[in-house]
Amino acid sequence: MNSPNLAVSLRGISRRFGWFWALRDVDLDVPPGTSLLLAGPNGAGKTTLLRILAGVLAPSRGEGRLAGAGLNDNDGIRRRSALLTTRGYLYDELTALENLRFVSLMCGSDTSPATSAGILDRVGLASVADRRVGAFSSGMRKRLALGALLMRPVPVVMMDEPFASLDDHGRALVDDIVEEMLAAGQTVFLASHQIGDSLRLIGRVAFIDRGRLAFTCAADELSERRYAYFEDRE
Amino acid sequence: MSSRTREIWKPVAPAETGSGRREFLRRTRAIVWKDLLIEVRTKQSFTAMAFFAALVLFIFSFAMGADVRLLQATGGGLVWIGIAFTGILSLSRTYQSEELAGGLEGLRLLPGEQRAIYVGKLLGNLALLLTLELFLFPTAAILFQLELWRVALPLAGVALLGTLGFSIIGTFYAALAVHVRARELMLPLLLFPALVPVLLGAVNATTLILTGDPDGAMSSWIRLLVAFDVIFFVVCTWIFPLVLEE
Repeated sequence: MNSPNLAVSLRGISRRFGWFWALRDVDLDVPPGTSLLLAGPNGAGKTTLLRILAGVLAPSRGEGRLAGAGLNDNDGIRRRSALLTTRGYLYDELTALENLRFVSLMCGSDTSPATSAGILDRVGLASVADRRVGAFSSGMRKRLALGALLMRPVPVVMMDEPFASLDDHGRALVDDIVEEMLAAGQTVFLASHQIGDSLRLIGRVAFIDRGRLAFTCAADELSERRYAYFEDRE
Repeated sequence: MSSRTREIWKPVAPAETGSGRREFLRRTRAIVWKDLLIEVRTKQSFTAMAFFAALVLFIFSFAMGADVRLLQATGGGLVWIGIAFTGILSLSRTYQSEELAGGLEGLRLLPGEQRAIYVGKLLGNLALLLTLELFLFPTAAILFQLELWRVALPLAGVALLGTLGFSIIGTFYAALAVHVRARELMLPLLLFPALVPVLLGAVNATTLILTGDPDGAMSSWIRLLVAFDVIFFVVCTWIFPLVLEE
């Protein structure tokens, strides 16, 4: 039975695309205010799991809850979670400020220009606030997508490959933001196949391989457990 | 637990982010604002539509010759052919900004009433088509020697009802066709059969306005347009979330 006191509680979550099972029988409990790294090779099922947790993909099987909302309550889940994706979902013809304004209008968060300007300053884009996003580099787009994530104070925040395209300052920015989120009591999921990037921020790791949850462990045990897992697998 | 932590973990009910009507209006406004701003900046849809509409009207004008009575009798139908063809161009681009931004999933990730997305897209399409008609009708008046200024008010009413019906169905089918590979082919194939009642009503009502209505048949066509608009607006708005979800 899923506990209502957990940030995320999953039982037997599976997802099929045609005949291909992208996820199989994932059980996972994540306490509130903690961080979890979803690790695993490309195509392991990390993004599929995040999309299910964000309420944009329904599981084919299984049940679960996110911050008190059932996984079948799409709108309830979306109101309690935010997902940073690799796509960004930014409009090239709008300026950085207008993109944030659109997000705030759609979500009902603070729509004041001062708030948006403050967030752009936080992600290092204050000087290009009025520039159209079509002229942004991929790193600047990632920063703006991170800013859009900050527009919504939600219990569960998920970031899919948050370090991709970012320079050293950008990676440090993600670290700082995750630390602030954890300090504020938010639960943070990071999905990355570049494990070294994320390890400093992480309490626990869930290692996914070929759609199955292979093991969970403390962050400092990851290298050892991963080595043992692949030894056994081969 | 700090006060900020308590705030974050407070269950977020729809009512807390502006319940019902307010949330719906805010999200609708956001979609209309975003779509029209992008259109004003790119002018992609409008330029293509205006050029295509002018081309259609010019070709019909050349084909019909100088017979004034024939032009006046067929003018209503010819204008609606222009609106229908150019409307398809506009409708196929309804969700283009989302596709360029990474897909409709971007909208689905933003919580709130999803029907507002449909109504916002519908109003954006309606605004674009009505703006086009401001150019289309005067051009038709010149080419087909129609005295439109005498019947401007009833004509505007019929144009509004017909364009609304066209946009209601078109915006919905455009969402259905987003994930279809041959969308440019599939959208007209799906759309035109569903548009028959609204095109029938609009063409006949426009023709009666231009040529006179001795038998008083106008009211039945207007009733058809109103009924079509109301029924399909309710149905399309109601089932739109099923189309948007994967």
